[in-house]
Amino acid sequence: MERRAAAPVAGVGLIALAAATLPLITRDSYYLDVATTILMNLTLTMSFRLQVSTGQINMAHISFMGIGAYASALLVTRVGLSFWATLWLGALVAALLAVPIGSVALRVSGPYYFLITFAFSEVVRLFFNNFFEGLFGGPSGLVGIPKPGRLLGLVFDGKPALYGLMAVLCLIVVVALVRLDYSRFGLTAGAIRQADLVAETLGVNVFRYKLTAFVLGSFVAGLAGVFFAHFRQVLHSSDFGLEPMVLLVVFTVIGGTGSVWGPVIGTIVMTLASELLRELHHYEILVFGAVLILTMLFAPEGLVALSGAARRRLRRLRGRAPAQAGAGLAP
Amino acid sequence: MLLELRGVSQRFGGLQAVADLSMTVAPGSIHGLIGPNGAGKSTVFNLITGVIPLTAGEILFKRERISGLRSAEICRRGIARTFQATALFREYTVLQNVLVGAHRLAAPGLGPALLWSASYRERERRARERGHALLKSLGLGAVASQVAGQLPNRDQKALALAMALATGAELVILDEPLAGLTDQEKAETTAVLRRLREQSLTVLLVEHDMKAVMGVCDTVTVLDHGVRIAEGTPREIQTNAAVIEAYLGAEEPGA
Amino acid sequence: MSSELLVQALLNGFGLAMVYVLVALGLTLIFSILEIINFAHGEFYMLGGYVTYYVYALSGLNYFATLVLAILTVGVAGVVAERLIFHDLRGKALNAFIVSLGLLWVMQAGAQLAFGVLDKPVPSAFSGVVRVLGLVMSVERLVVTLSAIVLIVALYLFLRLSRPGRAMRAVAQDPDAAALQGVNIDAVSALGFGVGCALAGGAGGLLAPLFAVSPAMGALPVVKAFIIIIVGGMGSLPGAVLGGLLLGGVEGLGALFMGSAAVNILGFLMVIVVLLVRPRGLVGGA
Repeated sequence: MERRAAAPVAGVGLIALAAATLPLITRDSYYLDVATTILMNLTLTMSFRLQVSTGQINMAHISFMGIGAYASALLVTRVGLSFWATLWLGALVAALLAVPIGSVALRVSGPYYFLITFAFSEVVRLFFNNFFEGLFGGPSGLVGIPKPGRLLGLVFDGKPALYGLMAVLCLIVVVALVRLDYSRFGLTAGAIRQADLVAETLGVNVFRYKLTAFVLGSFVAGLAGVFFAHFRQVLHSSDFGLEPMVLLVVFTVIGGTGSVWGPVIGTIVMTLASELLRELHHYEILVFGAVLILTMLFAPEGLVALSGAARRRLRRLRGRAPAQAGAGLAP
Repeated sequence: MLLELRGVSQRFGGLQAVADLSMTVAPGSIHGLIGPNGAGKSTVFNLITGVIPLTAGEILFKRERISGLRSAEICRRGIARTFQATALFREYTVLQNVLVGAHRLAAPGLGPALLWSASYRERERRARERGHALLKSLGLGAVASQVAGQLPNRDQKALALAMALATGAELVILDEPLAGLTDQEKAETTAVLRRLREQSLTVLLVEHDMKAVMGVCDTVTVLDHGVRIAEGTPREIQTNAAVIEAYLGAEEPGA
Repeated sequence: MSSELLVQALLNGFGLAMVYVLVALGLTLIFSILEIINFAHGEFYMLGGYVTYYVYALSGLNYFATLVLAILTVGVAGVVAERLIFHDLRGKALNAFIVSLGLLWVMQAGAQLAFGVLDKPVPSAFSGVVRVLGLVMSVERLVVTLSAIVLIVALYLFLRLSRPGRAMRAVAQDPDAAALQGVNIDAVSALGFGVGCALAGGAGGLLAPLFAVSPAMGALPVVKAFIIIIVGGMGSLPGAVLGGLLLGGVEGLGALFMGSAAVNILGFLMVIVVLLVRPRGLVGGA
């Protein structure tokens, strides 16, 4: 039997268990902040990988995070809704906007797709930065976003509580997306990435699959955005600009997109690296850029696949198990 | 008639690739489409399967118009194909390739996949069983868990056929199924095609190997420069003056 | 509204657009030869700006001599980038695109470390304004626009008449056929990438006195270049010129009615409209 999902889901469970113990070990707000950021990034990379798994590099993915974030911030501060409602509403707004935008963008493919999604992300960024300053805060940002508040007698405002909330959200997203990846949906998505024309002539409606991945990915990105808004409590349009978008690409492709584990490991390692290099921002960008180039040149299937390839080579040397190709980005 | 082309034309830039082509494919037959290089054979396949749009005419399948539909929809109606440069999902195992082919029969929506319901798992289990059975019948049983990109040419060709069959198609369109095969492998493949015909499958194929085409086909259509110049039984075609001239006129008699 | 105002607005739009066309031509030339979208293209523009700053503003070399130097320097940098990085990614659009994102960061951070983050002012080489038929244009802008047009024509002649230029067009049309005819694909790729980058470098040199030089200066022109090549059709040189004229016209007219941020959005809306009607751009193939 192939693409068995039990093992990966169990793996996720173990990681979740390990993550859950963190607040028990430390109450240090810096560590909790970093850990929360890792989980937020992980949610985002998993949703981005869902799209990458069908062969799309959506340069506007970060914009849907922004749309979720601004939507929730405004619904809470202007309309007076509770965070617990806007958590889903914000994500829903992102998903609903993704339907027409995805329908337009997915009419083209390859380089045209990179560029049209990038163009769209710039429209969104310029919009938040320059229009309706009274609403979105303009260049000085949208401030005064409240923390999540109460639910079921629990107060979500301390670092441990926010960490716990993000951990639960992340777990739900990761379990769902891992399950999807190991299902027929993942099988078909990978087929589209490898040879979309062949998939289409075998009866796969490629457009519909890509749009589904686009909308579902945007929903999850919106979800991460809502949390981001109420975690940071301030939003700038540049939070959803090119730099965080490239960072998202780095997180996702460095580990390799062939399996769900690449982005997971890539996100954890690179978020930690980003924290270590925080004081040296120029160097951070320089190092990340160089790592991205070197990875794509020498290990285009990602570092996780590289270790897998090494393992297989070792096994072959010992005369066991046939060679197996990793699933890379290369078409 | 299972498949019917009526006055089909395709123009690419200034080039008339196919001109006013009409032909019919009878159910349960093996139908060959031949012609010198550049005659437009592959274009005809692309037109039938909706890979490129036609500029005039219409195509009917089981008396329903299929021209203008998406490739995926055409496949759902019962036409599957292989490609000239064997096209597979190279990173997937042989069985996974066939499972993608079985998309139409197994495909559930997002919900069942997320919920991992019992009926979803049951359906996938049956799809795998059917996939294994299909692979076995085409001599691929032993390589089911190997990566497709690393198979020898013969097995890749067989796998491409298996993927087309897995869709449950009534008509399979094969673009050069014998290219690059040894004589013995060719004989095996033509035997498979005859067996499929007995199971009332219809086959439309493009092939350069004239001996094989004349041996296996019930009907042969000859194209030259996008125009149909002859159609008939292999015996009629072999003695047709226009066909002989077309092939002699071409640089290379396709054999 | 008077017709003079309209013509003036169009003139303003076209003036700068010609420089963006240079950036776009470089991008589209590289795409046509290597099938690569170089997201770091704006960083080569930035490099041209810094050459101008150090050679013209600080060392006082003649403006036009500096421009030539900027073009050559950035061209060499482009050849190096092709040999070191993009060479093996020919035709692998996805991987090449990601690599170019990495290069964007490396070059930007490198510039911040090497040149500092602050804007560097470059003095104008020309002063005064020209008035013709009630229209006004500064001499500086006029020189910049005319220089851009000269470079566009030079590129056209290079691709039409010179041996390497014709080889580039052959590779762009059909790499396999070109190889069969004895064209050295490797050399053409490297040279094509270099020429593409050189155009961006020239544009950077031209605009350095108009806007200050800074590590992030490449962002705006490259976005404009993206718009231009999507609208015009990727890989098409006439398309890039047409796209640039359209963008210049739309932005010039838009500036009459709205602020600069809104004008920027106008370009993107044009992209979306064009893609809806003609997904391959106005001059794109099938």
